[in-house]
Amino acid sequence: MKSIEANLIRLALKGDQRAFAELVGMYQDKLYHLAYRMLYNRQEAEDAVQETFLRVFRNMERYDDSMKFSTWIYRITTNLSIDRLRRRKPGFSLDAELPEHDGLDGYSMFASEDTSPEEEVLLSETQHIIRNAIDTLPPKYKTVMVLRYLEDLSLQEIGDVMDMPVTTIKTRVHRGREFLRKKLEHKL
Amino acid sequence: MNCNVAIVWMHDYIDGELPREDAVTLKQHLISCPACRARFDQLEKTEALLSSVMAEPKGQAISPATSAALTAKILKQIPSPARHRDWTGWIRRHPAVTAAAVFVLVMMASLAPTVNNGSELIVRGDDLKQVIIDGHTVIVPEGSQINGSLTVENGTADVRGQVQGSVTVIDGSLLTASTAQIAGQTRTIDQLLDRFWYKVTQTFGSKP
Repeated sequence: MKSIEANLIRLALKGDQRAFAELVGMYQDKLYHLAYRMLYNRQEAEDAVQETFLRVFRNMERYDDSMKFSTWIYRITTNLSIDRLRRRKPGFSLDAELPEHDGLDGYSMFASEDTSPEEEVLLSETQHIIRNAIDTLPPKYKTVMVLRYLEDLSLQEIGDVMDMPVTTIKTRVHRGREFLRKKLEHKL
Repeated sequence: MNCNVAIVWMHDYIDGELPREDAVTLKQHLISCPACRARFDQLEKTEALLSSVMAEPKGQAISPATSAALTAKILKQIPSPARHRDWTGWIRRHPAVTAAAVFVLVMMASLAPTVNNGSELIVRGDDLKQVIIDGHTVIVPEGSQINGSLTVENGTADVRGQVQGSVTVIDGSLLTASTAQIAGQTRTIDQLLDRFWYKVTQTFGSKP
């Protein structure tokens, strides 16, 4: 039996715009969260989601329904997010502590730039620390960690999304976790 | 147990992928090795924090208004006529059928003038001197002899004399008097498709 998504794609290919809108409704917010965790920037996350659906629309006829639709669409969003992360040119190292702000590093200054004051209250100090630690992960580890913890995907599913063998994914989860452990070491 | 192996096993354990008997071995190692125990403790805390922060939607959740605005933005950028994409895709997949369809289309187009001027009488033949045209009726008078074939379109052919060749009537009727003598074939073509094939065979020179 075909999945709901595969049927919607089939209808959308026949020019049914409501079917495509239905797909957008099903995935938009999930993809936004995924992109947001990768990019930590609302505008960029929205742009990545928008671009994802444009790509889905343009490549619908090439969608192979032997692959889960979620795997396919997550792959597009993660690839677009990785591209954006790589395009960011670090002007200066955010890891360097700034002398005039005692104990504050660049992250704590910029992390809150797109969160409202109410949200700020809700973000505890620990959350800030972890969020900043995740943000320093190199893109290839970040993707694996975000898919693992946010989307709760199995190692096999992450392998499908990233089109990589499970052994590679496993190594990346281990390294990513070690990386974060070291970042958080003195705060645990 | 080697500490390096123990570290790999710690991760496997956290990922829920360490076999039970290995987990027992790991536990024994952790009891005897304080460094590994500390490391395992840190890894478990990291894991717990990661799960809680990632699962926590507060602060990052998209508001319904923002979500609706984003949906509108997404749908706006989607080009509306998806149909022609379908159509070009079909053409790419079926080149032979497409070529045949184009051929049929061209042939149909060549028929279009006769279809549009459906009421116009057309008479063709090798020897039309003795033929009498009365309104929409083409008469081959009694006692006359036509040296060749006769074709009538959109009219009635009333044959009373002799025709050495064939008589073809397209979209019309053929009347033959008792005195009529037709040496060749007589054909009446009514259907559009018949006319089409008639045109095709004419075009390619094979005599029907």
